[in-house]
Amino acid sequence: MAGGESFDDTQVMTPGEIDAAVTGISPGEATHSAQVVVLGSGPGGYTAAFRAADLGLDVVLVERWPVLGGVCLNVGCIPSKALLHAAKVIDDAAAMADHGVTFGSPVIDGDKLRDWKNEVVGKLTGGLAMMAKQRKVRVVTGEAKFESPNRLRLDNGETVDFRNCIIAAGSESMMLPGLPDDPRIVDSTGALELTPIPKKMLVVGGGIIGLEMACVYSALGTDVSVVELTDTLMPGTDPDLLRPFLNIIKPRYEAIMVSTRVTGMRATVPSIEVSFEGDKAPSVGVYDRVLVAVGRRANGGTLDADKAGVMVDERGIIAVDKQMRTNVPHIYAIGDLAGGPMLAHKATHEAKVAAEVIAGEKSYFDARAIPSVAYTDPEVAWVGLTEIEAKAENIEYEKVKIPWAASGRAISLGRSEGFTKLLFDKKTNRVLGGAIVGPSAGDLISEICLAVEMGADASDISLTIHPHPTLSETVAFASEAFEGTLTDLYMPKKR
Amino acid sequence: MAKTIDIVMPDLGDFENVEIIEVLAKSGDTVEREDGLVTVETDKASMDIPSPENGVIETLTIAVGDTVSTGDVIGSLTMEVGDTVLITPAIATPITGETTVLASAEDAPSKPAGKQTLVVPDLGDFDDVEVIDVYIAAGDKVEIEDSLVTLETDKAAMDVPAVVAGTIESVLVKVGDRVAAGSSLGIIDAVAGAVPPKAEETVVEKVVPATAAQPAPQPSATEVPKTLPAIDEAGFSKAHASPSVRKLARELGVNLAKVIGKGAKSRILHDDVKSFVKAILTGHSGIPGGSGLPEVPSIDFSKFGEIDVQPLTRIQKISGPRLQASWINLPHVTQHDLADITQLEAKRQELKGPAKERGISLTPLAFIMKACVTALVEFPKVNSSLSDDGENLIYKKYCHIGFAADTPQGLVVPVIRDVDKKDVYEIATELGELSALARDGKLKLAQLQGAGFTISSLGGIGGTAFTPIVNAPEVAILGVSRSSMQPTWNGSEFEPRLMLPLSFSYDHRVIDGAQAARFTTLLGKALGDVNALLKAIP
Repeated sequence: MAGGESFDDTQVMTPGEIDAAVTGISPGEATHSAQVVVLGSGPGGYTAAFRAADLGLDVVLVERWPVLGGVCLNVGCIPSKALLHAAKVIDDAAAMADHGVTFGSPVIDGDKLRDWKNEVVGKLTGGLAMMAKQRKVRVVTGEAKFESPNRLRLDNGETVDFRNCIIAAGSESMMLPGLPDDPRIVDSTGALELTPIPKKMLVVGGGIIGLEMACVYSALGTDVSVVELTDTLMPGTDPDLLRPFLNIIKPRYEAIMVSTRVTGMRATVPSIEVSFEGDKAPSVGVYDRVLVAVGRRANGGTLDADKAGVMVDERGIIAVDKQMRTNVPHIYAIGDLAGGPMLAHKATHEAKVAAEVIAGEKSYFDARAIPSVAYTDPEVAWVGLTEIEAKAENIEYEKVKIPWAASGRAISLGRSEGFTKLLFDKKTNRVLGGAIVGPSAGDLISEICLAVEMGADASDISLTIHPHPTLSETVAFASEAFEGTLTDLYMPKKR
Repeated sequence: MAKTIDIVMPDLGDFENVEIIEVLAKSGDTVEREDGLVTVETDKASMDIPSPENGVIETLTIAVGDTVSTGDVIGSLTMEVGDTVLITPAIATPITGETTVLASAEDAPSKPAGKQTLVVPDLGDFDDVEVIDVYIAAGDKVEIEDSLVTLETDKAAMDVPAVVAGTIESVLVKVGDRVAAGSSLGIIDAVAGAVPPKAEETVVEKVVPATAAQPAPQPSATEVPKTLPAIDEAGFSKAHASPSVRKLARELGVNLAKVIGKGAKSRILHDDVKSFVKAILTGHSGIPGGSGLPEVPSIDFSKFGEIDVQPLTRIQKISGPRLQASWINLPHVTQHDLADITQLEAKRQELKGPAKERGISLTPLAFIMKACVTALVEFPKVNSSLSDDGENLIYKKYCHIGFAADTPQGLVVPVIRDVDKKDVYEIATELGELSALARDGKLKLAQLQGAGFTISSLGGIGGTAFTPIVNAPEVAILGVSRSSMQPTWNGSEFEPRLMLPLSFSYDHRVIDGAQAARFTTLLGKALGDVNALLKAIP
């Protein structure tokens, strides 16, 4: 027996030899060389690097910015959540005025708020640098592009040779074409800077990112308008989830314009003039800040991936298999540029799969549901099957919706506008998906995620004792309602 | 003839970058196969790396203190080829993704005469196979291609042929021995100039020493799918299994779609995955092919000649599983009979022309369908279905009959509704229309639904009888073959009569043999009475 499997090239040939074999070019000495190089240090990238290191692999982590953490930690999830917390405190304080606790109107020190937000980010990114050191992951700073199937070249001239590569280079905010170059027109990164807090702001794009920032600015006192090209905010979300959210934001925001196209922007000295085309939109609006949040573009096209033979589609996305492998077997892609929803928690799971596969484990991305959360006020979260999908794919389901008006906890929070919705398989009683609208929906959705992954049915949830009084009880209520055993609400017999 | 080969570090198991602590040979040394060349030390043990072949050390490129890994070249060795003969395997090597290590053909023509060892060639993934037959004995003369032994793996038995001619000096194996690639089978005194046939195998690039220190081969990732069925991803993603069970299944290469969950509410548990694998490894399962049936072996036909792979049509993909489901689930019996259609055919010929003028193609099938109505009315059970739970019989008060139509895309069964309320001309008209739609692939769903009974007519093509598969959940189907003139005894003499073969398959759970025989008899009688068939519907 020749033991053929032990002779795969990762073990036999050095990266340089592979390079030479593939390109026919004899390589010079590389500045760095590693068993695994991870390109990008966002949640996907650092997770991949750390997991690979923990599995005993020699890892180089390449990051173009001087700090680790990528978009999520530096200019995405984390700083936005810090600001959303501030917004929540402001709103909660104001809401208590109706119930006998008055604080007076808030005084907002934008600089101090920004410093605090930066401090939050700094703590996390600093933590990452520390953890990289502890794991002996070598961090290399520079913007990398492929030079060959086994070598990256950085913009500073350094090179990194690798046996395996995990591409985790993420995505970037898309800008509308033809906008004037003006500091008052910003993307989500600019919006997080809060400089200065505007009086009137237009958010272009009714997706989650735009609506979260709208929420922050509205709480900070800005008159917010939202414009969305399609006929709904958060396209793809079940319409019933939007209703409680719209009820809250409609009276607060200056305008919510759906089915409306932005046809032009003009920067004038006092303001940005935006022209619209849409049934209910004014033809022109005047704002002193415009946030463009019309989506993100995968960065697959920025890496010279073709020099490694990796195929990238016209959207910048790199196709991968269930083990996150690209068409080039020793190169993997994860996160925003690997297709699917652009979510950090998806990237981290893909990251572990890629690292484990490189280490020889038989890992696959077998998750059945990826939760989505809008950290707006109220929060909107959903996972698994949506009603839109069920109808499109002709999947039979039974829906149960528990209004939070039936939850003592929600009422005592003064937030009974939300609801918990579960979709069940009529035959097996299993949870197919679910959604929650209301404060902390993003945290509450995890139980439904677990239910979907475990194939839990209604009684698995209803027979699990949920603490009282909590918002999480509403998930159990929904399961009881499906079974017809709910006593906290009167529901006419269905069968 | 001398040949220089690389000395390559063998598979060291889990160890990479092991240190050389002693070099046991030097350039110019004559070494024998298995002689130690260097000693390496891992954190677990030290081991000698033996010489891959007999020969003279040309170079050794390592020194004490160097670290080496599997596959590293540590030197070269000049060997006399011809003292080891590798034998062309009788089977193609299973795909391992690696070049097969085999030296034979190209060196062989210059092989000197004399004593040579006959060894087992690379067997692909099999490294422990049983000798089930030995054809040679000391003193036997063998020719090239003569079988030496038969080996049996779990997949196949294969003969190991001789690649040199000569006289067997000694035989080193007996029936029941287990051998692997490189095992010696015997010694042959080869005839000079014997040229083995040009073999397809490639010449050795790197010879891996078969080493005593080599750890037992580890089960490789590529081996698992060879014994386990391939993972059907769509089924896998629906299996009732938690994430940790899915992970285990991936590690073991188990297709969860085929595992039966024994946990609460039929959840697939870790143990279910393990016992599934155990069952396959011990051969105690017919590997369920989705239906709990043993699977048909998968064969790489390209080994035997050129092939062309064409996807099934959409209709074939749909009809295939349904036919299989019916064939597996229904206890089929087929009743064969002959119907005398001499009179019917005479009448039909007479009416055909005038009908044609009205644009109607008056086919035999229209009459057969009409006759079936008579029989179905008499035997309503033939127009029934079993309820899902198998507890009740559902009688249909309507009479819709399907007919199997052969189309370029595959088999479809359009349905003529309320055949009992239509005369032969109306049926013939509708048959024509539906057949045309079927050929063009333009049938609507409604035109394919609702049949209580089906007719499959191959009369236009040929044959004397066949066993049609019931279109479940229907309980019976009538197959019609080609009519022919046959001598029939009329009581005093043989008379030529046009006889139509009927093949009536039925679900024996619903219809018993006597009823089936009565059904076909009545059907035959109905086909004989053409005037009754032509009676207009009020």
